[in-house]
Amino acid sequence: MRIALVTGTSRGLGRALAESLLGDGWTVHGFARGPQALAHPAFRAHAVDVGDEAAVQAAVAAVLETSGRVDLLVNNAGAASMNSLLLTPAKKAEMLMRVNYLGAFHCLQAVGKAMVRQRAGTIVNLTSVAVPLALSGEAAYVASKAAVEALTKVAANELQPHGVRVVAVGLGPVDTDLTRAVGRDQLAALNVRIGRPSGTTLAEAVGFVAEEWGGAPSSTGTVRYLARLG
Amino acid sequence: MSVFNREAAVRLILLRLARLGAELGKPALAQADEQTRLFGEASHLDSIGLVTLMSDLEEDIHRACGVRIVIADERAMSRLTSPFRRVGLLADHLVELVAAAQA
Repeated sequence: MRIALVTGTSRGLGRALAESLLGDGWTVHGFARGPQALAHPAFRAHAVDVGDEAAVQAAVAAVLETSGRVDLLVNNAGAASMNSLLLTPAKKAEMLMRVNYLGAFHCLQAVGKAMVRQRAGTIVNLTSVAVPLALSGEAAYVASKAAVEALTKVAANELQPHGVRVVAVGLGPVDTDLTRAVGRDQLAALNVRIGRPSGTTLAEAVGFVAEEWGGAPSSTGTVRYLARLG
Repeated sequence: MSVFNREAAVRLILLRLARLGAELGKPALAQADEQTRLFGEASHLDSIGLVTLMSDLEEDIHRACGVRIVIADERAMSRLTSPFRRVGLLADHLVELVAAAQA
């Protein structure tokens, strides 16, 4: 039985990733702050704020109590905010860093220890095409995701000798609650810019991320984008 | 709740070092004692070995004592004498952490 831990499973991409894994026979532990509607015999919901180190440690301990191991961690939980750099409140920047970067850091650290003991495991961190594009209006968000990419590369170097693979995958706008607040014209322009004029469906995004479940060990430290950049 | 004293901590560390030595092909680790260096030039462990040791010990302690501890906590990192320097110092640190977790 393969065991996965996915963060941000209450809705959107996280929930879709969890459903995909469940469909493939995985046992999935889902971390989310609020209630989770996903109902499946092999799904275990945990109420966790990934920005809270102690809460993450306790929840990962509970996962290990239940399942004994974690084969796959998907750091999907995230928050977004669009604002001009000079008008972005510091509190907003702090919140984005806490959820997007520290959330991934806390989960990676807690689960990484279990994977080191197992001498095996895969960690997939979610990033965004906004990083290589340095998108205007997303300074705080881009900075937090750039930190996730840097974390991925260092973690890959440190954990590779223990048999643990760490990668990042970056998506453009996916049709979820997170992007529905963004103007249609703005999204359309971005989708054209990344070579995906029709946009990215949830199914396409899940398929792209899922390619990492069985990735080659040599791919550790890589950042792949579902986009045509440059 | 089981008692975790210094003797038990040393025994746990030495057992884990011996296993790690077998895994890493470093039989000298099976001869470790309280004075054995855990990092630095005089150590048989590299940084990867040290991380493995800490991670394995956290799980060993959970199994033995029923508590979850984080060995590399703020207190450990801010001490003038690193608890990761020698086996004996690490044992002292583990006893403190377990006592705090059980309190």
